[in-house]
Amino acid sequence: MKSLASASWKAPLKFRMPTAENLIPIRLDIEVDGQRYKDAFTWNPYDPDSEVVMFAKRTVKDLKLAPGFLPQIVQSIQSQLATFRSYEGQDMYVGDKIIPIKLDLQVNHTVIRDQFLWDLNNFDSDPEEFARTLCTDLGIEDPEVGPAVAFAIREQLYEIAIQNVTSARENRISKKGRRAAEHFTPSKASGAALDLMKLFSFRSSVVRKRKEWDYYKPVLDLLSNEEVDALEAKEERSGR
Amino acid sequence: MENKPRHDPNPDSNRPEEPELDLYTIPSYSSWFAWNDIHETERQALKEFFEGSSISRTPKIYKEYRDFIINKYREDPSRRLTFTEIRKSLIGDVTLLHKVFRFLETWGLINFLAPPPPHEGSENDDRVRVENGAPNGVRVVATPNSLRPLSAPVVKGKNSGDGVEESGVKLPPLASYSDVFGDLKRLHCGSCGDNCDSGYYEYKKDNFIVCDKCFKNGNYGEDKSMDDFELKDCHEKSAANGTVWTEAETLLLLDSVLKHGDDWDLVSQNVQTKSKLDCITKLIELPFGESLIDSAKGRGNSSGTSMSMNGIKPVVVPPSEDQENIINEDQGYDGANENKKNGDSENQEPPLKKKRTASTSDADSSLMKQIARISTMVGPQITAAAAEAAAAMLSDEMSCSREIFYGDHIDLTNGSLSPSIYQQERAHNTEESEIKERSNPSDSLAESQETHPKKSDIPLPLRIRAAVATGLGAAAAHAKLLAVQEEKEIEHLVATIIEAQIKKLNSKIKHCEDAELLMEKEYAAIEGLKEYILGERINILRTTYNTGTSKLLELQSQTSNLS
Repeated sequence: MKSLASASWKAPLKFRMPTAENLIPIRLDIEVDGQRYKDAFTWNPYDPDSEVVMFAKRTVKDLKLAPGFLPQIVQSIQSQLATFRSYEGQDMYVGDKIIPIKLDLQVNHTVIRDQFLWDLNNFDSDPEEFARTLCTDLGIEDPEVGPAVAFAIREQLYEIAIQNVTSARENRISKKGRRAAEHFTPSKASGAALDLMKLFSFRSSVVRKRKEWDYYKPVLDLLSNEEVDALEAKEERSGR
Repeated sequence: MENKPRHDPNPDSNRPEEPELDLYTIPSYSSWFAWNDIHETERQALKEFFEGSSISRTPKIYKEYRDFIINKYREDPSRRLTFTEIRKSLIGDVTLLHKVFRFLETWGLINFLAPPPPHEGSENDDRVRVENGAPNGVRVVATPNSLRPLSAPVVKGKNSGDGVEESGVKLPPLASYSDVFGDLKRLHCGSCGDNCDSGYYEYKKDNFIVCDKCFKNGNYGEDKSMDDFELKDCHEKSAANGTVWTEAETLLLLDSVLKHGDDWDLVSQNVQTKSKLDCITKLIELPFGESLIDSAKGRGNSSGTSMSMNGIKPVVVPPSEDQENIINEDQGYDGANENKKNGDSENQEPPLKKKRTASTSDADSSLMKQIARISTMVGPQITAAAAEAAAAMLSDEMSCSREIFYGDHIDLTNGSLSPSIYQQERAHNTEESEIKERSNPSDSLAESQETHPKKSDIPLPLRIRAAVATGLGAAAAHAKLLAVQEEKEIEHLVATIIEAQIKKLNSKIKHCEDAELLMEKEYAAIEGLKEYILGERINILRTTYNTGTSKLLELQSQTSNLS
């Protein structure tokens, strides 16, 4: 046990997105004068701030929104960026963590539900590529689905990363005396992480049991127009 | 391991199916694959599993992934296995799984026999499809009003050297051809079917020939006896054995052919050293040969389809054949023009086709306009080839050619073109016969005057066309020459500048060295002076000391005396 622990000990890293490209997810949900603008996209935090204003202007122009949207969009983006930056200097401790990522999203006429594992320690991971493969394999033609999937993945990774920072901070505070950084046992970290010991031990197989296969495969639904409208109406009602 | 049919990694070959085994095809570059082992290739490509850095990445786990994926694919090799199908069945990071999947796919261990992936995305409006050929409803024709379709230009990549030899052999068996060259048809033995290259025996009573060997062997068919056969030596022997034609003789031959056309007796008289048949065969061998004859005859038919633009590609030309090829290029235009006249539909030079049709319509426009038009229509390779050829020629005999060329320009409109080109080519031919050439232009100028009435039946556009083409070539060559000259000058000047700079530097260095030397000498001198002065000082001190002490002694003695 101990030898394994030392093998998987990792030096603390500066906070960043655990993906190949350090893009953060930005979500917007603004309502002005009865017009509702919902959007979700990835942003490069190293772009200059002037880009934010330009992007907001372009969005307002392209989508023909009321001019009152402009300051709100800018402010929202900037506050999310600021949150990111506040975490940036902190140490993030990732360890060897494989978490399940769940997808449950509706994009235009497509509904996807999916579940799979993602290794937070794998800094080569690319949500966009995964989304591309998924869409190709499932034969999805709607070009908006891919980016939505990638965004959902990114958002979840972002959440987990933030959690890592906060818990690392807490650990440091609680164990002020100790010098070495802590080794995260999976049990200590967020409950979502998998118990690697159990799964990857010598005795067990990496191949899932057949009955579980259906849980981990993507489920694709194509909605008709009425269903789409119904869903939207339900959302709005629940949102208000 | 689980029970599975024995795997046989077959490199792309078909072996007869054996009932007990299932054969799976994998590419030969993946023959390193083995079920029971992990190969170096895999270790290199998927390092994460073999570094022992994490509990979730071990060789055992990798092997499980790999085996599962390959087996899954082999359940149905004709179906394409997608990543999404397998990732639901495997525990582990999807990115890593994807990497393993892609690795196996690139090495052909999976999806090797499966159809390629479907076209990604839908056929969106903004997706551009590139289609070959003209769009539907549009027919590409030679001129706006004609109906003859235009085929895409085909680039011939044949070595021009080959073209010279082969052209004599590829002549299609047209009736006109046999009329002209009836004497020279290759003879086939009746019994064995070989070419009668050596002497052959002709059966007197009938039209039956037997080659030498067959005659000797005695198989000349039934009902024929030896006496009935008459020996006839092969006429072609001389040609087949390759009589040597010097440049001068070739010149003469061409000259006389143009002058006398079909009259072989006169031609052979002119050439003197060669027989009638020799002349004819030599002429055939020259790629433009037949066209000369035809043009001299003024007849419209020609069988010289093989006179293609092969000769126009002088990229790698052996020096010995240089002359021939240069002739080819020039005459190529001429010959090609003749082809056009035939309306030869199986012509392989569509670019020239275009040339012709455009020229005929504007026969009266100025020369430069035509050159401009032609330069747009003629393919770049042809232009380049013409320019190169013209450049080569012009660089050899610049002044001479200019005279001839420009001198003939005036004659072009109402004179024949062939002599002018011929003169140009002759002018550039050999260095030895330079004097001859100088006299020749004047001769041929006179000739061209004489032969005006004879050659006036060659249509004007042909001549103009060829003239324009050569004009273009000459202009391009001229430009190239100038450019080359400029370059040389620039190089020369740069070299001089560099030299001057170097000289300057050298002299500076020398100056510094001299100064250093001087300094050293002065330093030495100063050192010496210093020492000398030091010595002097010591002396003075000594003397003063000595005087001082002696005085002191004196005083002491005085005082002691006193006391």
